[in-house]
Amino acid sequence: MSWIPFKIGQPKKQIVPKTVERDFEREYGKLQQLEDQTKKLQKDLKKSTDADLAMSKSAVKISSDLLSNPLCEQDQEFLNLVTALDTAMKRMDAFNQEKVNQIQKTVIEPLKKFGSVFPSLNMAVKRREQALQDYKRLQSKVEKYEEKEKTGPVLAKLHQVREELRPVKDDFEAKNRQLLEEMPRFYNSRLDYFQPSFESLIRAQMEMFRGQLAMELEIQEKKP
Amino acid sequence: MASYLESEPPSPGESSGDESQGVEATRICEKMKLNQRLAAKELVNTEAKYVHNLQLCASDIRSHLHELPQGDLDVIFSNIDDIIKVNSRFLKDLEKAGSEEEQISLLGNLFLEFQEEMENTYKVYCACYNQALALVETYRKVPKLQKVIHDVITALVPQACASGLSFLLVMPVQRVTRYPLLLQKILENTPPDDEAYEALQRATRAMQEVNSNINEYKRQKEIATKYNKLEHLTVRERLARINTHSISKKTLRLSQLFKQEAGIVTRTEDREFDDLEEKFHWVALCVNELKSNVAAYLDHLETFLRIKPYECDLEMEGGAVQQYCCFTRDLHLLVFLEFKQRLERLVYHPLHHLSKALLGPQNLIKKRLDKLLDFERTEEKLAEMGSMTYEEEAIRHTYQALNSLLVSELPQFNQVAIQWLGQILNTLMALQRDLAQQVLQRAERELGQLPHSHVSDFDFRKLIEDTLDKTSAQLQSFCQNFQKVLPVPVRQPLQPAAERQVQALMSKYSPSKLYQVTSNISGSGNLALTLQKGQIVAVLQDRDIKGNTSRWLVDTGGYRGYVPAGKLEPYQVVPHDKPSMQSGSGDGFKFLPVETPRSSTHVAMPVFQVVAAYPFVARSNYEVSLQAGQSVTVLERQDKKGNPEWSLVEVNGQRDAFKNIILRRGP
Repeated sequence: MSWIPFKIGQPKKQIVPKTVERDFEREYGKLQQLEDQTKKLQKDLKKSTDADLAMSKSAVKISSDLLSNPLCEQDQEFLNLVTALDTAMKRMDAFNQEKVNQIQKTVIEPLKKFGSVFPSLNMAVKRREQALQDYKRLQSKVEKYEEKEKTGPVLAKLHQVREELRPVKDDFEAKNRQLLEEMPRFYNSRLDYFQPSFESLIRAQMEMFRGQLAMELEIQEKKP
Repeated sequence: MASYLESEPPSPGESSGDESQGVEATRICEKMKLNQRLAAKELVNTEAKYVHNLQLCASDIRSHLHELPQGDLDVIFSNIDDIIKVNSRFLKDLEKAGSEEEQISLLGNLFLEFQEEMENTYKVYCACYNQALALVETYRKVPKLQKVIHDVITALVPQACASGLSFLLVMPVQRVTRYPLLLQKILENTPPDDEAYEALQRATRAMQEVNSNINEYKRQKEIATKYNKLEHLTVRERLARINTHSISKKTLRLSQLFKQEAGIVTRTEDREFDDLEEKFHWVALCVNELKSNVAAYLDHLETFLRIKPYECDLEMEGGAVQQYCCFTRDLHLLVFLEFKQRLERLVYHPLHHLSKALLGPQNLIKKRLDKLLDFERTEEKLAEMGSMTYEEEAIRHTYQALNSLLVSELPQFNQVAIQWLGQILNTLMALQRDLAQQVLQRAERELGQLPHSHVSDFDFRKLIEDTLDKTSAQLQSFCQNFQKVLPVPVRQPLQPAAERQVQALMSKYSPSKLYQVTSNISGSGNLALTLQKGQIVAVLQDRDIKGNTSRWLVDTGGYRGYVPAGKLEPYQVVPHDKPSMQSGSGDGFKFLPVETPRSSTHVAMPVFQVVAAYPFVARSNYEVSLQAGQSVTVLERQDKKGNPEWSLVEVNGQRDAFKNIILRRGP
């Protein structure tokens, strides 16, 4: 992939073709959005699981407070009812805890790992930008000298500056190429990466409710 | 002579007096019988008319008043139907008697038979009578409805139209109070030796008893209503009620309480009531606790529903992600929302009402205690003086009425409250069951579309773990790739002037202290320098006077000052005639193993201090650049794979405290 900086008929600073720049912007833009969404999702999932746990903890409180009331000692029927409720709530809490653990392991952790790639990516993009700036600066210097009268010292200077330019240009090209290759790959990897997690999310919910329903039906049958 | 008068035989007048006495006696007897018969007849006739009027009132008038709401009609006519039933039976039995004599002998027994039933029906009616009257009064103020009532009454009971409904409603109240009077009249006219006398006497007493019981019942009900109303007073109204009377009342009570606490006066122990009160207290505790716990649960549920992880947009069409989003959205917006609403309606609201219903009895119990104190004071006074004023009698009655009301009604209340609680708890469990069922229904549908639906839960977990491990490794590689886009330290050849400056600095400081400015620094504050990008400076100290390690003291060759450390990068001095060494051909290093066992602070293995003979340019993250003459500390002579051509060294003078590198060693 080589592109030649146009010197004639183009604005001086235009060294990266618009198409390339646009491609880069697009890919990077997509990744930036992905980053935002994964962060939001991670936060929301964490808050959601916290709220879920809070709910089942307060349900357990309902039944354990009831159990501690002296009325239970006097009234056998009431005691049976409250004990049944207590068992149900406590088991539901256990199921819930397990579900949250499963979600933590299979969804939230992977999300975090996914998110941890982004800082490196952003650094890399910054460095490319830096390289681009250097490149532009040196390029404009070269152009400046090229426009001057071709006297001896000017030519010497020109040669020197051109020498400076070359490694910088190579560096930028390398960075650009690498990123343009890697970014779409990374972006597409999300498909394979997230599908299992979300599947696990649905299944974890199902497991919990299945267990809960079975337990509650069992309790109901035990009642006279 | 005196005896002459005494021994005189009875004069003819006296003998005729005897005779007339006998006639008199018979006449009186006849008169009595007549009166008796009349009174009995009056009773029976009035009874017949009474029942007839009642039926008129209940069936005809009430059915024509369909413009009034049913609830109000129930209040106005209360249990008039029951009264009609009882009295119709009574009348029928009364009319069964054949002759009038039979009737009288029947009367007494009949009353005794019906005593209890009458008491139960009439006491309810009489207790509600005031309320009914009040309601009729309010209707009187509504002209349109009043006209309707008036028309109906005029059509059916012309003689009553002047006074309206109240005339008709008072009939049962009047009737029940008349029974004792009527019976009394019959009794008066019955000779004591009559066979029916005893029955009649008992009947009269019985009906008097009925009346006093009805009164007592009514009074109890009134007290309850009175003290129930108290809780609805506003602060202003409460303040208005304070007057000298109430203050003195309360002070007296307080003094009584103190006397009890001090042991001067014994407290009346009422075991039965205390047990009841305790149970009531537990019930109240249970209800209130449950209410606040359910409220907390609902709060958490609401918080949970507000969070929406399904609203993320990962730009992934279809697949598990999309499914999850749809599934969870459904759950939140439909299933969980319905659960929450049902919970509120079927559990929280009933609890709320139950909790409010507790306030009435609580208030009454409080009042009873107050009245008990009053009562005990009057007991004292009674013991001392043996009599009481009218007021004190009233106080005693109030306490007794309140006490008996509570003792009779609290057990029932407790029972009902506990039953209600039980139902609420059952509902709670049923709601949870329904929720689980609904969620599962939807989840089963989704599961069918998921790729691993046939896999059991346990296997799925293993599967997921493996997949995640793999993808995690993949992510790592991405991470590393991005990190490889490394800054190749670009050295720009310097301007001659800058070159001279560098030489000057190098003569004063060691090359390891040379740093290059990576971006423009604008100094502000004490001794801060303003430098351009690319300038070379020598670091004198890596912290400022306050110990802040992010500001370093540097020397620019001319000026000295502080610059932010973040904008400095170590500078390698490269002699111009040496081409850049990127290809990595075997460069030799000569080692001057200076075996000064330099105690490196962290590493506890034998280390060498060596000096690099030639410069070296790093090519990757794991290599560090060296300048000629730079001293390094060798930590390990071999690299991780055991390659003796590379060593791990520690370089000082870099910006990072330690940079472990792999150093190529020559022969």
